[in-house]
Amino acid sequence: MGRDREKDTKRRPMRASDKMPLKKVTPLLKPDVKVVDYKDVNLLRKFVSDRGKIRARRVTGLTVQQQRAVATAVKNAREMALLPYIPTSR
Amino acid sequence: MRRYEVMVILDPDLEEKTIAPSLDTFLNVVKSDGGSVERVDIWGRRRLAYEINKKTEGIYAVINLTATPTAVAELDRQLGLNEAVMRTKVMRPEDVREEAK
Repeated sequence: MGRDREKDTKRRPMRASDKMPLKKVTPLLKPDVKVVDYKDVNLLRKFVSDRGKIRARRVTGLTVQQQRAVATAVKNAREMALLPYIPTSR
Repeated sequence: MRRYEVMVILDPDLEEKTIAPSLDTFLNVVKSDGGSVERVDIWGRRRLAYEINKKTEGIYAVINLTATPTAVAELDRQLGLNEAVMRTKVMRPEDVREEAK
C-alpha cells in the first residue's frame, strides 16, 4: 500500500498554483460600497463577461458581501431586459 | 407603510405623452390607500437586451412610492393585467433596509 501511495504522488501533475502565487487583483469596487443598484447598467457591465456570465470573485476581487450584491443586481437587471441572458452578437 | 420602487416596461407603440397620465391612474390605488408617490421617472424608449413579446424596444418608467404591502400588491396585479405593460418589477430599495436596522 505504501508503494502505491508513492506512485500516486509521483504521477500527480504539476499545477500552476504550485509554483506561481495568484496575482492580486484590484477590486472593481471600493471596499465601502455596500449597495449595488440593478439600474446602473454601465457599472454592472464590468462584472459580466462578453458572454453575459457573471465574473467570478477571484476576477472581480470583491468581498463576499459585495459579490453577492453584484450577482443579485445582475440577475434583477436581466429580468428587466437591461442586461442580456445571452448576448446577441455571435 | 414601506418604501417601494416599481419598474415598469411599457409597450413601445404607446404615445410618450399618454404615459404619465396613464401611470397616474394606476397609482390611484396607492393614493386612495393612504400611500404617497414620491417620484415618477420616465426613462423613455430604450432598447431591450432581449425580445419581450416580440418587441425589441420598451418604454421604461421607475416609480418610487410609499405604501402598504397590500396596496403595492394590488398595483402590481393591475399593471400585469394591462396589455400595454410588458413587464413589472417591485423592489424595496436597499439603503432603506439598512436604515431600518
